[in-house]
Amino acid sequence: MLRLTLSQMRRSLGRLSAAAIAIAIGAAFLAATLIAGGVITRAGYDAIAAAYGDADVVVEGDLSTAERSELLRQPDVAAADPLTAVMFQLRAHGQAHLQIMLPVPSDPRLGSLTVSEGAAPTSEHEIALPPATASSLGVGVGDKVTVLSPEAAGSSQDFDVTGITDDPRNAWSQEGGAGLVTSSDISAWSGERLDDSGTTLVAASDGVTPTELRESLSPLVGDARVLTKDEAAAAAVSELSDGGNVLVTVVLGFAAVAMLVAALVIANTFQVLVAQRTRTLALLRCVGATKRQLRGSVLLEATILGAGAALVGLVAGTALAQGALTVLNRADLDVPLPSTVSITPAVVLVPLLVGTLVTLLASLVPAREATRVAPIAALRPADAPAVGARAGRVRLGVSLLLVLGGGGVLLLASAAAGRGTGDATLLLGIGTLAGALSFVGVLLGAVFWVPRIVALLGRGLASTGTSARIAAANTVRNPRRTAATSTALLIGVTLVVMMSTGAASARTTMNHELDAHYPVDLVVEGHQADGTERLDEAGVQRALDGVDGIRESVLVRTAMVEFDGSEGDTVTVAAVDGDAAASVVRDASLVDSLDDGTLLLPASYDDKLAGDATVRSVTFDADWNRGPDGPPVQLRAVTSDLGGYRAIVTTSMLDQIAPNAPVSTVWVSLDPGADPATVLQDVRAALPDGALEVSSAAAERVSNERFVDAMLGIVVGLLAVAVVIALIGVANTLSLSVLERRRESATLRAIGLSRRQLRWMLALEGMLIAGVGALLGAGLGLLYGWAGAVVVFGNVGDVLLNVPWRDLVLVFLVALVAGLLASVLPGRAAARTSPVAALSVD
Amino acid sequence: MDTTVYRPTEQTPASSASCARSLTKVYGRGAAAVHALDGVDIDFAAGAFTAIMGPSGSGKSTLMHVLAGLDQATSGTVRLGDTEITSLGDDALTRLRRDRVGFVFQSFNLLPMFTAEQNILLPLELAGSPVDRPWFDTLVETLGLGQRLTHRPSELSGGQQQRVAIARALIAKPEVVFADEPTGNLDSRSGAEVLSFLRRSVRELGRTIIMVTHDPTAAAYADRVVLLADGRIAGDIENPTPESVLMGLEALRTLEQPAVR
Repeated sequence: MLRLTLSQMRRSLGRLSAAAIAIAIGAAFLAATLIAGGVITRAGYDAIAAAYGDADVVVEGDLSTAERSELLRQPDVAAADPLTAVMFQLRAHGQAHLQIMLPVPSDPRLGSLTVSEGAAPTSEHEIALPPATASSLGVGVGDKVTVLSPEAAGSSQDFDVTGITDDPRNAWSQEGGAGLVTSSDISAWSGERLDDSGTTLVAASDGVTPTELRESLSPLVGDARVLTKDEAAAAAVSELSDGGNVLVTVVLGFAAVAMLVAALVIANTFQVLVAQRTRTLALLRCVGATKRQLRGSVLLEATILGAGAALVGLVAGTALAQGALTVLNRADLDVPLPSTVSITPAVVLVPLLVGTLVTLLASLVPAREATRVAPIAALRPADAPAVGARAGRVRLGVSLLLVLGGGGVLLLASAAAGRGTGDATLLLGIGTLAGALSFVGVLLGAVFWVPRIVALLGRGLASTGTSARIAAANTVRNPRRTAATSTALLIGVTLVVMMSTGAASARTTMNHELDAHYPVDLVVEGHQADGTERLDEAGVQRALDGVDGIRESVLVRTAMVEFDGSEGDTVTVAAVDGDAAASVVRDASLVDSLDDGTLLLPASYDDKLAGDATVRSVTFDADWNRGPDGPPVQLRAVTSDLGGYRAIVTTSMLDQIAPNAPVSTVWVSLDPGADPATVLQDVRAALPDGALEVSSAAAERVSNERFVDAMLGIVVGLLAVAVVIALIGVANTLSLSVLERRRESATLRAIGLSRRQLRWMLALEGMLIAGVGALLGAGLGLLYGWAGAVVVFGNVGDVLLNVPWRDLVLVFLVALVAGLLASVLPGRAAARTSPVAALSVD
Repeated sequence: MDTTVYRPTEQTPASSASCARSLTKVYGRGAAAVHALDGVDIDFAAGAFTAIMGPSGSGKSTLMHVLAGLDQATSGTVRLGDTEITSLGDDALTRLRRDRVGFVFQSFNLLPMFTAEQNILLPLELAGSPVDRPWFDTLVETLGLGQRLTHRPSELSGGQQQRVAIARALIAKPEVVFADEPTGNLDSRSGAEVLSFLRRSVRELGRTIIMVTHDPTAAAYADRVVLLADGRIAGDIENPTPESVLMGLEALRTLEQPAVR
């Protein structure tokens, strides 16, 4: 039987290879994901272990001063240092730099840095810098740099550069390297006390093993844990890489989708292989093969195909991962990456097993069909395989149950999330599960409704010509196969559209929230050391005038007011006139209700301040001592959707409350085309020195959008693998149709169908199948995307549903073009066949 | 190639509807070369029903394929009416088959997803020509398909399917209809019915039919039987009867023993 199976496989090599490509892509995806997961974990491990230097044990947990001294008194302990890294603000030659600094270790074994040039700092006000920082500040050994105090503004100290540090294990390369100062300078200039750090590195005395040291220290440190260096790195990785693991899990989810689509393609291929071999199978039955042998033959074929393709995929995936790693290493990303991928048993076994199993499972139904071939079929003339048996009622029932049940629960979850009730995580879990179940229902039922929709669209298409009419009629001849092919594409398209709809809704929702929260694109605020918020308006105005991309800026006076009879409730009020406000506030409707005599409260203030009130301005000095109060003023406080913590009044109202209120804030609106991040940078650079704070909601909005777009790009890229596999399926189905309908095509050619018409017929068939898959997928994806957006963002605020038209049109066009492309090779094959050759086949 | 050379059969001079001169068809090369046709010269009269007969391997199917423009000749010329077809490209041949030639196959070759009427009208649709309703009605009535027009091939008997195929072959009023073993898949009663229809379409509707068969009874329905052996014309029987055809075939066998594998 093995020889027979192999020879049958050889005869069907072309058809099998399409299925093999599908499974190989899935397996490659899986292998690459697993390898990437390993690389992420190992890179994390290496980075963490590097920071520990050559310490023998690591004490995790806070130590009291007494415990630390006790530790140092142990004969087994050669040295013990807290693991500390702090930020220093450095300046030299007008350049400023934020630098990670480490204390000089008390024992070289406890340090992760070496000094490549000069020497490590030994006394106060000495510093060693990493090469990149030294060159960006333009200093070398023997020069001076200025360290700014983080606490007292304006206070600073010159440090002597004694050396250039080197980071041989890349422990700090992701942060741009680290410098060294003495530990007393660390505490003096970072404002952070050393004892607060949670990790202590310990070096053992000569002849003491790490394990012995761990045993001897454990009783001394109270609640803290003593771990060897390897244990500590492993523990830190497992804690840290939770994020990495989530990423790997998510990507594995996409790999599962790719595998599912591959399974559909394979099931299709085998179904048709069995149908085409009806005669051979029947002949085998005639000469005495049992049903079990036939089923075994089909399953054996699937196993060989699956294992072979998975092996190819495994090799391809590994090569891909290694290639990516080599490129990354060459790109010098300052991330400590291993130079070769590590092949673990899981990396090898999982893709192989999954690939083989998926192929085997996908061929189960075709294998059962093979056993149904009656021996008598050998004696009948070979005709195009009959339309598959009608799908059962059970299937319809299960499908309806899942669609209605899952869809209903999803709707309920969306409704609950939309109202903001219920536990968000729980709702997300329920929503995901219900959505997945309903999608499974949709897929199960595809065989019932996809052919109908294909027929419906085909009827419309049929009116455009004879080729179209034949193509439309051909498409619904084998509803099950058409359904399976369309469905394979539908899965990918649904997920892509769902993600893009969800992302579009997320973007709109987040921007809406941001608009309310940060009503102005960019804000410059003064924070003077004497407690006032006055800013140098002329200087700021001059600076802003020199920056490109600013549409308008409004100087805003502010004062702090106290509500009478409200136990000292205060609010900072900003004074703008309606017109000025409307020109810089993103959502002008926010300040609609502003007029003289009104105080617009931000949304963060409770309603208890709303209503008619008497307010007076209050002043405080730097030490929070109350200064003279202003006159009492009657006004009406109105709550609004305004974000932030500032209330708004008109300028004439502020003149009544606090005639001397200083300009403390500048509200800036940006040109629509300007890049907010660049403008923010330019504004910061242009502003005069002084205590000014610049914040840009526009920059935040852009970075939010970039984040969403980047995530979307990655996700869509991953899902595209599933779509590619599905398109292989479309090509496969078409080429099988061509083979099946050899004689029909020949007849059509004989009675006057031109080669072009024949190719066009297949192209239309491909586009119809692909188009229906894309259309249905887009519709489903839109619904799921909306439901997902409501469930995820329901708690954040009002969800604005969005239709990503551009993406939808793009997906649809891609599907049509792909359907067209998928028909090219089969079409050529069909057109090449001479009518005589095809007619003589019997 | 221009299709304006087409003229309805009725106006064509009663010369030959199709003819071949020094026609040769060789499959394979060198030692493996097989001469399926070996210098065939023949004329087929318009408005006549001609049968081509011969043992298996005699080249009768190849002759028909080359005459119909389905296959390329190795050398020699083939004319359909006034058109030399051996030099035509695929597009011109396709148009020629669509407009001037009809086919009837042994295994009917109807499109399973279309009804009988849709199958009959298919050649006109492919050509984008208008339907000649009276002609359609005449065909349907002559072939007795009135009750079957909305049925699909799977709902029709073999004889009915072949009658639909004949209607399809005649709908575009082609100059010549080629029939390849049209009764090969039919029982004798349905076969006799189909042959009578073919003869009626020649006698009453003025068509030209060239039929390949190996059944002497079927050949006897024709006006003339051409005998083929080893790729050459081996005999010509006017107004054949089953007996005269059988005698002709006998004569072939005694001439070239053993003629058949």
